[in-house]
Amino acid sequence: MDLYPFKPGPIEPVALPGHTVGIWQKKNYVFAEVLYVEGVPRSDPIEIDLGAIAAGGTSAIAQTTALSLPDDEFGQFRCFVVDDICAMLWQARPDGRYKLRTRNGRVTRWTELKDPCGHTTEFYVYEQDDAFHQALNPTAYALTQSRVAFYGFRYVIQEYAPERYRWPDVLPPQWTRIPATAHL
Amino acid sequence: MASPYTQPARGIRKSSAIIDVAAAATPENLYLQSAAGQNARTVILRKVYIWNNTGANAQVQIGQGPLPALGALYPVFYALNGFDNQWTEDEIPEVEVNANLVVQSDVLGVHVQVEVEEIE
Repeated sequence: MDLYPFKPGPIEPVALPGHTVGIWQKKNYVFAEVLYVEGVPRSDPIEIDLGAIAAGGTSAIAQTTALSLPDDEFGQFRCFVVDDICAMLWQARPDGRYKLRTRNGRVTRWTELKDPCGHTTEFYVYEQDDAFHQALNPTAYALTQSRVAFYGFRYVIQEYAPERYRWPDVLPPQWTRIPATAHL
Repeated sequence: MASPYTQPARGIRKSSAIIDVAAAATPENLYLQSAAGQNARTVILRKVYIWNNTGANAQVQIGQGPLPALGALYPVFYALNGFDNQWTEDEIPEVEVNANLVVQSDVLGVHVQVEVEEIE
């Protein structure tokens, strides 16, 4: 079964109940079994508004608590911008995602135009290690709202005891890598 | 009917503010370029709406700035008095502009609004 992160096409779960995942978090893989998967539909409560932005200005960097999860859960999200903004993602706060050597990618109205399924926007949130977002207004006029919408799946997991699997020397025979933070 | 040469969408559609031409034969801004991102966006003029209730026929020129210049990009739009004059994209040359769009009219009081396709 081909389940993996950033899979092109309509969003699919990256793992099913019974599968093993390794969540990249604080420079370490946390190994866990997936117990339950649930969809998170694109809808108003899962949308953030980074506020009014003057022409050419940027918003504050905001903690995206809308995507926060309980303990022993992680989320898989794709996003698109509703207003004409350039949305930037940090995980953790000082660490920009969509990262290259000298620049970070941003999600804009053109992202959806060229990547309608949004697979290049995909990111993961582990428990309360929240994502952070900021918006740039690239236009010559003020925006009253700067909204970013999300959708995806949440996963309830149970961590394996370190005696069973631990990074990097005792690994599960088959597992899915979950990049919940940037691999520095 | 759509032109057989119409290209697929490259950008997003936006409208300008409605410009009430303030002085005859004087260029003024019509659509300001979005230039605060990594690269300035370009625009293609897609639709033109001109409402002329001035009492005289008007010749409206749309071109590129920056002000006070107007660099001509299109044929002059001849806006009949008392009419709601409209041009759609099959009637407008597809010119991609890397500047502000500006407008001038030989008659003041003409109302002009455009729709552009903005390209990132």
